[in-house]
Amino acid sequence: MNNDNEFTGADILLKALKDQEVDTIFGYPGGAVLPIYDAIFGQNFLKHVLVRQEAGAVHAAEGYARSSGKVGVLLVTSGPGVTNVVTGLTDALMDSIPIVCISGQVPSHLIGTDAFQECDTTGITRPCTKHNYLVKDVSKLSETIHEAFKIASSGRPGPVLIDIPKDVQFAKSKYISKKDISFREHRIKAGSKNVDKTFVEELVNHIKKSERPIFYVGGGCLNSGHQASQELIKLVKKTNIPITTTLHGLGCFPGEDKSSLGMLGMHGNYEANLAMNKCDLMINVGARFDDRVTGRLDAFSPDSIKFHIDIDQSSINKNVKVNFHTNTDITLTLKEINSFIDSNNIDFGDKNYSNWWGQINEWRKKECLHYEQEDEVIKPQHAISRLYELTKQKDTFVTTEVGQHQMWAAQYYKFSKPNRWITSGGLGTMGFGMPAAVGAQMANPDSLVIDIAGEASFLMNIQEIATAVQYKLPIKIFILNNEYMGMVRQWQELLHGSRYSESYVDALPDFKKLAESFNAVGVRAKNISELDDTINEMISIDRPVIADIWVDKKENCFPMIPSGAAHHEMLLSKYDKENPENQEKGKVLV
Amino acid sequence: MSSTSVYPTPINAFKQSKRSVLSVIVDNEPGILARIVGLFSGRGYNIEALNVTVVDVKKNLSRITIETLGEEKVISQIIAQLEKLVPVHSATNLANLSESYEAEICLVKIEFENEEQDQKILNFADIYRSRTVQKRQNIVVYEISGTSERINKFLDDLDTIGGIKVELVRSGPIGLGI
Ligand SMILES: Cc1ncc(C[n+]2csc(CCOP(=O)(O)OP(=O)(O)O)c2C)c(N)n1
Ligand SMILES: [Mg+2]
Repeated sequence: MNNDNEFTGADILLKALKDQEVDTIFGYPGGAVLPIYDAIFGQNFLKHVLVRQEAGAVHAAEGYARSSGKVGVLLVTSGPGVTNVVTGLTDALMDSIPIVCISGQVPSHLIGTDAFQECDTTGITRPCTKHNYLVKDVSKLSETIHEAFKIASSGRPGPVLIDIPKDVQFAKSKYISKKDISFREHRIKAGSKNVDKTFVEELVNHIKKSERPIFYVGGGCLNSGHQASQELIKLVKKTNIPITTTLHGLGCFPGEDKSSLGMLGMHGNYEANLAMNKCDLMINVGARFDDRVTGRLDAFSPDSIKFHIDIDQSSINKNVKVNFHTNTDITLTLKEINSFIDSNNIDFGDKNYSNWWGQINEWRKKECLHYEQEDEVIKPQHAISRLYELTKQKDTFVTTEVGQHQMWAAQYYKFSKPNRWITSGGLGTMGFGMPAAVGAQMANPDSLVIDIAGEASFLMNIQEIATAVQYKLPIKIFILNNEYMGMVRQWQELLHGSRYSESYVDALPDFKKLAESFNAVGVRAKNISELDDTINEMISIDRPVIADIWVDKKENCFPMIPSGAAHHEMLLSKYDKENPENQEKGKVLV
Repeated sequence: MSSTSVYPTPINAFKQSKRSVLSVIVDNEPGILARIVGLFSGRGYNIEALNVTVVDVKKNLSRITIETLGEEKVISQIIAQLEKLVPVHSATNLANLSESYEAEICLVKIEFENEEQDQKILNFADIYRSRTVQKRQNIVVYEISGTSERINKFLDDLDTIGGIKVELVRSGPIGLGI
């Protein structure tokens, strides 16, 4: 059949991507996606970024999505191509990142025969995607792709996978464009568009009555878009209520503002955690009462009335019972709160919560993030503080790996805008940061992109330096090199009698030479006198740079709420010894 | 004396476990049952019974009925999680409706040895108005329907007879709100 209106599955995919305004795709070829790669060859709207391992593609897509607010897209082959992205899909699901993963599958007639590079892709990825599809009929391909993008980006965002057998990539059908598709509402789950006016009124009344209110803001605020953060800033200014954010909420509110108590949770600020513990009104904006944040549940903020704004119904009352909730989008709800306050001329000016702020300022005097840069050995906290001071004039994007360095980055690097802070929170995936930096740099070619890394994590996806070099992405990998899986070592010190079982990272490569062998640039700071120069040099080089920063090997990350402890039972420094009873209970938790 | 667990139990999920029957309307598409079953096993919820059938051919809808155990808080979480699945139209706890009806069907094959047992079986079958599907010399097959509780009672009663062999199959409960 030769019909001008018909296209191969591979061409339909590309048409749909164009229709969805996708201009970048991260991928790795293989037998089951060759027809798609053939279609990519003959076009120029879509930039394909060849990663070095599929895990790199999925984290890059996450970094791209987080830093741009758009859907990240990747393309992988069947079998091992797909199994390599399982971690990243799970990561995106946990952290609500919109990505679409296209995977090739063996031809339809071979499915179920244990064919070469066959795996049960939809079966394996079902629990780690928001939704997934196996497209068996090319005539369904267009609408499947458009629905996938819609689902990935609507409501609480997440990863969606489309598995396309090779014969379907060759088969022909008509293309249906995005505008000609009518989505079935029950499948999109976009959340309510109607603001809950009673919720808004109740909230404002409670704010008026409360003595010790606090905003507790999470990644949902980020996902609701930049306007959510604008509305939040307005509301905080109007009410003079203190605000703390989760790891993912960083940047939704300017970190250096005086109303900000910084991050809360396991390695959160003393004043933030104590304020959560003692508040009488908690306003949760898009956070999910995660165990890293709540500490021991039965002691979590015992005296507060809790309001919860979250687009995801299943986040409500999951871990913590709340008094009032709404499932409407955060931007819409915050907007309504602001305009309700304005139109009713409610003035919080006289209120000011001065006793509450007095108390908070007392807590602040503890200076929980204080450290001493004692001698020549660089303190990791100091390395991050200097990195911040020397880069804060630029619109900098920071990704991280997972471990102590990640927490120090969260504590000492201050963010003033959303989408500048890209980290793996829910899953805590080592090896996330460097490919995520590749993605962030693709989305923001003119910005400074830094991966704050640990040497152990960095080794997990080190192959992606080649990607950065090939595409001339001048990402900076800032390694806090302590020669330990520092966070593991810290737990072993605090909970397992300093028995450092398998947490020393032996046989490390020479990161400078390693960089050079990849045709990237390596720089190094061995002591405090070299730190600033090394950072400045790193920033000045317009190529991928690996900065090997030698830091204190035995430094621990404080404050810390040990697992199983409550907010007011936090350890402030190494001199704070925990009571042994809690230690035993906490040991079984993660 | 009861022994203590070697590990502390963070939350006791079975504290106030209650039986609930959930009715879920879904798009009838490949993988939907796997999604639902996976959700239950992945999140540690119980499935006591499960029933799936297409109920609207034109709209391509199936109704899935799930009997589960859990505290009220767990049940609401299950419903919220079910409603997040893309092909799910609605998930309802029948107990939350002002009026709902429930039924289950059970086929029982009974082998008996003597007249006396036969009489007793007949008697119970009569009381529970079960329908005879087949009867041969020493084998009888009944069909009994109603709430699961009613079927349980019937089976308990049969149990008192002794010396008979019972083999059975149950559909699991299905239910409908009015
Ligand atoms: C893929 C993966 N495996 C294991 C872990 C457990 N883990 C958490 S932090 C950590 C150590 C990280 O070491 P490094 O990257 O050097 O960072 P540091 O803590 O020293 O700053 C490990 C092993 C993890 N988070 N991810
Ligand atoms: Mg380390």
